[in-house]
Amino acid sequence: MADHDPASRKNALRIEALENLLAEKGLLAPAAVDAIIERYEQEIGPLNGAHVVARAWTDPAYKRRLLDDGTAAVAELGFGGPQGEHLVVVENGPRVHNVVVCTLCSCYPWPVLGLPPAWYKSPAYRSRVVREPRVVLREMGLEIDESVEIRVWDSSAEVRYLVLPERPAAAANLDEAALADWVTRDAMIGVGKPQAPQP
Amino acid sequence: MSADFLSSDGSGAPPRSNGELVFAEPWESRAFGVAAALRDRGLFDWDEFRACLIAQIALWEKQHPPDEPFSYYGCWQRALVELLAQKGVCSARELEVREHALASRPAGHDHAQGHDHDQDHDHDP
Amino acid sequence: MGGMHGFGRIEVEPDEPVFHADWEKRVFGAAMLAMGAGVANIDRFRHAIERLDPVEYLSAGYYGRWLGAFELLVREFRENGEQLESAEPGSIRSVVAPARFAPGDVVRARNLQPAGHTRLPGYARGKLGSIARVYPGFVLPDTNAHLRGENPQRVYAVRFDARELFGSGAEANACVHVDLFESYLEPGDG
Repeated sequence: MADHDPASRKNALRIEALENLLAEKGLLAPAAVDAIIERYEQEIGPLNGAHVVARAWTDPAYKRRLLDDGTAAVAELGFGGPQGEHLVVVENGPRVHNVVVCTLCSCYPWPVLGLPPAWYKSPAYRSRVVREPRVVLREMGLEIDESVEIRVWDSSAEVRYLVLPERPAAAANLDEAALADWVTRDAMIGVGKPQAPQP
Repeated sequence: MSADFLSSDGSGAPPRSNGELVFAEPWESRAFGVAAALRDRGLFDWDEFRACLIAQIALWEKQHPPDEPFSYYGCWQRALVELLAQKGVCSARELEVREHALASRPAGHDHAQGHDHDQDHDHDP
Repeated sequence: MGGMHGFGRIEVEPDEPVFHADWEKRVFGAAMLAMGAGVANIDRFRHAIERLDPVEYLSAGYYGRWLGAFELLVREFRENGEQLESAEPGSIRSVVAPARFAPGDVVRARNLQPAGHTRLPGYARGKLGSIARVYPGFVLPDTNAHLRGENPQRVYAVRFDARELFGSGAEANACVHVDLFESYLEPGDG
């Protein structure tokens, strides 16, 4: 713990004290906390969303169901849970690009993407992507032509958004399993595009 | 604006991408896990927690010391403490007392959760 | 209890154990399970504790009060023929009243200041937009914790042009959809 900054040490002490107290009061079991942490570190992550996207790319009926009721459609693949009770999928197209944010507190569709990355939670992203999305996306490596409409979705209520990116032309002949490898987390937030898996 | 904000190596491979950590430090994971566990137990719902989180983030953004970097889980933890105090589950005072007791441990003390107090611990009067 | 007099010194038990007896632990555990099962949320429990007979309140002790509150709530459920609260996460409730707005309607976000906590982002306040989507009812977070009962309202995805939000210098061909409760909106002026 030697190289933690003072704020971190303080936070670490505080959560340890809180967890201690709550366990004594019978309000939680440390093992339950361990299990939750492990689930979000190991199991729940963007691979889930990648499967959803790959299925939508290869099965037009599934894609219609996904766009109509995201929660039910991802549940077909076995995904669901906290922060996914009302999932809405927004589709990219040749003339429309979607990008997701939660300006108030970084809400994110956990069941399909896991927990959000640090940049998504940063004050800079939260305030700037609504104000100057094209500039922000360019800084993040994604160029969107001015003829393409950018739609920013601010998850200010209970709906959680997932972007359904366009299937890349280069991936035209791949099967569902291979396609999943092309689907990046950033493409499902809207700050990147699907890309060939890194070797 | 730091370069960290801009990096987006976004490979979708195993649930976590390319060595990117879900939690930067262990205390962050505990803060997340404790909130989620309490929600599972029905002490609050995410809506209520979120309201506190929104308030803590707004407060930090309005009033933080100029050099202090944003800590999402710092705000998260403050929201949790605030919500539990509001609910009468855990007061600021008892938390303070417990922190003090833990901080007074001799170096090398076992940090396992739920350990008993040793007799030589001081409690504040 | 604040401000009441005449109850003597507060006896503090040194090294007080969290539970003095097994029954206390079981009551607490049962209360937690009940909340998890949706019998009541913690605010209802706390309100029930406050409604206990004053003598019972003072003599019952901390966990005795929980037991008393539990009994009170169960009695009330039976007497009122009340449905158990659904414990569904995500606070989705069906709203019976028809939606006030329809897709395409022009609306204005009201200029509400967040005295409590609201879900109206500052950049959208007072701005003119149009209804993009109509979502089912949700609990309005401003009232969930209060015992006035939940206040389900429709949520709308409202589309705002970037230049409406951020002025003429904002990007062309960009918009922001904000999810807003019905009470945050009023009809737009043309």
